[in-house]
Amino acid sequence: MKNNKPALALVTLSIAALAAAGCGNSMSNSSSGKSDSSPAPSTAPSSSSAAGKKEPVTLTFVISNTVDAAPYNKIFAEYEKKTGNKVELQALPGGDFDNMMKTRFSTGDFPDLFLMQPGTKQNVKLRAEETLKEWSGDSAVWSRIIPSMKEFQTTTTGKIYGVPFGSIGAYGVFYNKDVFAKVGVQPPKNYDDLIESAKKIKAAGITPFYEGVKDSWPPQIFYFTGWVSNVDPAIKDAGVQKLENNQMKLADIPELKDLFMKQKQIKDLGLYQNNVLAGTYDEMQNLMGDGKVAMAFMLDGIIPQLEKKFGKPFVTDKLGFFPFPSNTDAGTALMTPPNQLMIPTKAKHAAEAADLIRFMISPEMVNLYYQTQPGIPIFQNATSDLYPVQKTVKEFIDAGKAKVNVQNRLTPTFADFQKTLQTFFIDGDVDKALKEFSTNYEKDGKAKLLPGFQ
Amino acid sequence: MEKRKYPLYFSFPALAIFLLFFLTPTLIGFYFSFTDWNINADTIRFTGLDNYRELFREPRLKTALTNTLIFAACVTVLQNVCGLGLALILNEALKLRNLLRMVFFMPYVISPLVIGYIFRAIYHPENGVVNHLLQTFGLGFLAHDWLNDPKIALYSVIGTDVWRVAGFSMVVYLAGLQFIPKDLTESSAIDGAGYWSRFRSIIFPLLAPAFTVNVLLSMIGSMKVFEMVYVLTEGGPGYTTEVFFTYIRSMFSTGQFGYATAVNLMLFVLVTVVGVPVLLAMKKREVEM
Repeated sequence: MKNNKPALALVTLSIAALAAAGCGNSMSNSSSGKSDSSPAPSTAPSSSSAAGKKEPVTLTFVISNTVDAAPYNKIFAEYEKKTGNKVELQALPGGDFDNMMKTRFSTGDFPDLFLMQPGTKQNVKLRAEETLKEWSGDSAVWSRIIPSMKEFQTTTTGKIYGVPFGSIGAYGVFYNKDVFAKVGVQPPKNYDDLIESAKKIKAAGITPFYEGVKDSWPPQIFYFTGWVSNVDPAIKDAGVQKLENNQMKLADIPELKDLFMKQKQIKDLGLYQNNVLAGTYDEMQNLMGDGKVAMAFMLDGIIPQLEKKFGKPFVTDKLGFFPFPSNTDAGTALMTPPNQLMIPTKAKHAAEAADLIRFMISPEMVNLYYQTQPGIPIFQNATSDLYPVQKTVKEFIDAGKAKVNVQNRLTPTFADFQKTLQTFFIDGDVDKALKEFSTNYEKDGKAKLLPGFQ
Repeated sequence: MEKRKYPLYFSFPALAIFLLFFLTPTLIGFYFSFTDWNINADTIRFTGLDNYRELFREPRLKTALTNTLIFAACVTVLQNVCGLGLALILNEALKLRNLLRMVFFMPYVISPLVIGYIFRAIYHPENGVVNHLLQTFGLGFLAHDWLNDPKIALYSVIGTDVWRVAGFSMVVYLAGLQFIPKDLTESSAIDGAGYWSRFRSIIFPLLAPAFTVNVLLSMIGSMKVFEMVYVLTEGGPGYTTEVFFTYIRSMFSTGQFGYATAVNLMLFVLVTVVGVPVLLAMKKREVEM
């Protein structure tokens, strides 16, 4: 064994060195990200200004696969014609989009630009101050966008890290007008009226409501759209601010508990389809299109889906919308701001990506977008040929009877809400579901190290 | 027989790789389980037993623990029963014996993810093969939404995993059967012993080493199940099929790395606590030939 000593020492030394190197890297979450994370200077030479000198580049643009890529592809074709630069579109799975983006950021695999859900909570997720290009002072951009969208994007410290792009969306109750006409019911005047109409629809042999519990996310819509009509009027904006700081518990809001009880009531009255646990978003569209289902608590993403399946005339003539009614009136429509375009400061072609965004929000491209995908515009003087359901939403907005989704107003998320609701559909325990909903919200705030949650 | 001795340093390369790629990360992970390592924090602080205290207060972990143990117990038993049954049948002089051995082993070499996606289609309540077959044979009353009925979803996943891994057990048992001297079974047959007597008195005791390997591997493997549950049910509906690794994954995805590492370490302890006594008990009943 006397000859073993040098070899043993060498191996020990190598292991110690490698372990130390590993520890050194892992002991800090963000040190590498902070050193050179200042936003790209706004005075950086743009690719278009230097187009004559530079070789064309290919930009990578990441979107969720739940987003319709058609309008983007049209805009990018125009962009290529004008600059020679290409845009490679990468669609990531919608359910894992946020996690995949966080992973890409943590491994330094930055796209040149990406489209993400709206709201400043994304800034926390992506550590925006260190990683994303800041747009706060770009007046050329903000002069094109309606002021409320800018206000929505602005953080408490007055910073903006994303440029909104797309349309104002809506959650509410989408219904088949033919079914309503056949049964002789109208959009409801209040919640009791909705339940009475649903009972009449059931008596006529048609399923009043459909819920896609199997797909996890659809049952959440009931609560988000129910919130603006029932919870917001009770707790007001001050209450939402208290939730933001954990000074109020979700479990302590009676109106929220009432929403759980309302969903249980619909289930107990047999107003949902049979075997609600097996319900899917896809089947819901098919049954609603065929007139076998009257209504669904849903988001406006259903409009292009129904158009694909049943054609434009169906969406134009037979699809209706009304907000989730309150106990006393027809309710408030829920608005969702559009997605936001973001650029990592360390993106390979960050300057070209910024130019691309400026190109995308030019009046011609904005109109091209709305021609391809009609929606309620967020750009000044933009024109869009709205569907009747979208006109209905716009009427609510214009009448001041619309409010932004509470999820877009809060930094912590309603973590695992879909799981809570699946369990709720299994056991029907209102108190347990409300407690879990509230606890998970607090856990998310704590995990994000937000003030008030520690 | 004289045993030759080799110098100790022959083992150093393997030892170094083991230390570097297994022991060091394990020890580092052990340390991180006592920290508040979080994707949203700039620093990592030592927090003692905080993660473990929180972990034991989490009802979701209790569900995951229960489901993991049910899954491991069912898969271990069924995998070995099916594997042994197949091995005994395919140890006989059958036509197409080699082809059948390959067919039954094949699922084991396919990725669990791929199998998960295939079985999602097979279990589909309307278009799936299972319900169609039940209806064809007049057993339509047994048709289910196999992956969304909270009472049976876990067992549907168990069934799929048993189908995937039974072939592996079969191969190990087949190898064990080759080591049983033929003269023992043949002479007992001449003495008038029936197949069941031969199995009980000769084959079963002499297969003990294969049992030890199979039971231990299937138990450890099934306690670490992830892909199959994730693809088939994502731990749902609700938390009805939640297992340790789906819980760990969800904690990692929220950026709570320190806490998730603590849960991972709990799984390591659980596997050890269950595995070591089983190994000792099974080694005890092994017989020398």
